[in-house]
Amino acid sequence: MKANMQADLLLPTNEDTVGPYFPINFSDPLLEDLSQFESGITAQPQGVPIILKGRLLDRYGELANGTVVEFWQANAKGVYRSPKHEGDSDIDPWFWGYGRLRTESGEFEFKTIMPGPCADRASNITITLFSDGISRIVTQIFFADQTGNASDPLLQSLSCEDQAKLSARHEGEADCGSKIYTIDIVMAGENEIPFFDDLIREGE
Amino acid sequence: MSNTGRQLKIGPTDNTSDQRTPRNRLRLIPEIARESFAPYVPQRGLSRQNDWDLTRIAPDLPRAEGVAIEVSGKLQNERGTPISNAMLEIWNANHFGRYRHIEDHSNIPLDEHFLGTGRVFTDSEGNYTFWTISPGAYLARPDIGRWRPKHIHISVSGGGSRLITQLYFPDEPNNASDPMAILMGDDFERNIGKPYETPKIDVDSGLNFDIVVGGRNAVYFE
Ligand SMILES: [Fe+2]
Repeated sequence: MKANMQADLLLPTNEDTVGPYFPINFSDPLLEDLSQFESGITAQPQGVPIILKGRLLDRYGELANGTVVEFWQANAKGVYRSPKHEGDSDIDPWFWGYGRLRTESGEFEFKTIMPGPCADRASNITITLFSDGISRIVTQIFFADQTGNASDPLLQSLSCEDQAKLSARHEGEADCGSKIYTIDIVMAGENEIPFFDDLIREGE
Repeated sequence: MSNTGRQLKIGPTDNTSDQRTPRNRLRLIPEIARESFAPYVPQRGLSRQNDWDLTRIAPDLPRAEGVAIEVSGKLQNERGTPISNAMLEIWNANHFGRYRHIEDHSNIPLDEHFLGTGRVFTDSEGNYTFWTISPGAYLARPDIGRWRPKHIHISVSGGGSRLITQLYFPDEPNNASDPMAILMGDDFERNIGKPYETPKIDVDSGLNFDIVVGGRNAVYFE
């Protein structure tokens, strides 16, 4: 295989669009509801249960149907379940933090717990979109009523207008008691939200 | 800050790409926030008995119509380290170019013996193998006569690796006009499988597709 001479790295396989037909039979209900561990198990993740209600919109304000949405977040104590934190006493055994769903209409509901703030970061959820017509795009959302937003380094790298676009709003409680948050994710055009580049580093 | 994030491009003749591609440049991530952008996907299980063999719906059922192929290759990161125990989710159209997906409303026939979805895991050396039916090309834009070339969708996830891509076939007439292939330019060549012969197994031919999960975001190398 051809190598990238400059950095002595292999050249990556190109990312490609997921297309319109991501198989619905690949869905896993446990990845759409992180507020429970596995059905039938007497265990509950720590933290405040929330429901994130989102709308994915295109540049004409139409719902972006058929999109695969992935979520990645810290647990209630602000710890990510990644190799870096292996053995950390603040890991919650009943919470992983990775979620995935395919939205048929372009609207979604993701059940989870409020991620904790952690070293220098406000509570946030990383959202990855795989949609027809585009390859993977990534953003991160925050919670308007949580503390720490004013000093979060990612939020503070954005204009006030863009910060607002990444802030989910608390809009009441569900029957089950979970706090409901809403967010509009505009993928393109006038009210486009900021997306982030996880391939290029600052200063390179 | 001396550099900027990528400017994404819109796939020519692809209406959905026009509707959904962000117009602003991607923003750079402050170094301190990078860890939060590297999901770590937990191990998951298989759902069907013969998830590796898309050529039939169950081991005791007849083979679907068309050319049976084996697809195999190695999954590795940019440093050449094999990625083991990663899940590949696979889906492709049937021999005629139709998906058995509730939202595929085309008039192309279904094949009663073809489901078209499967999953496999990479072994300890990062190798994977699955069988499927060589998919048909299908007309994506009847108004301008643009076809989607034959392709197999592959989604890779496991640990710090995450990639959704498509495997294409060599010398296909529709490769050149595919919007995503056009955006890839010369790099498109890396997404084309390399044919090999399969004299000893029950398929007609093989296609080798080594996958390199790129990106400095894949910070955890298992
Ligand atoms: Fe497709």
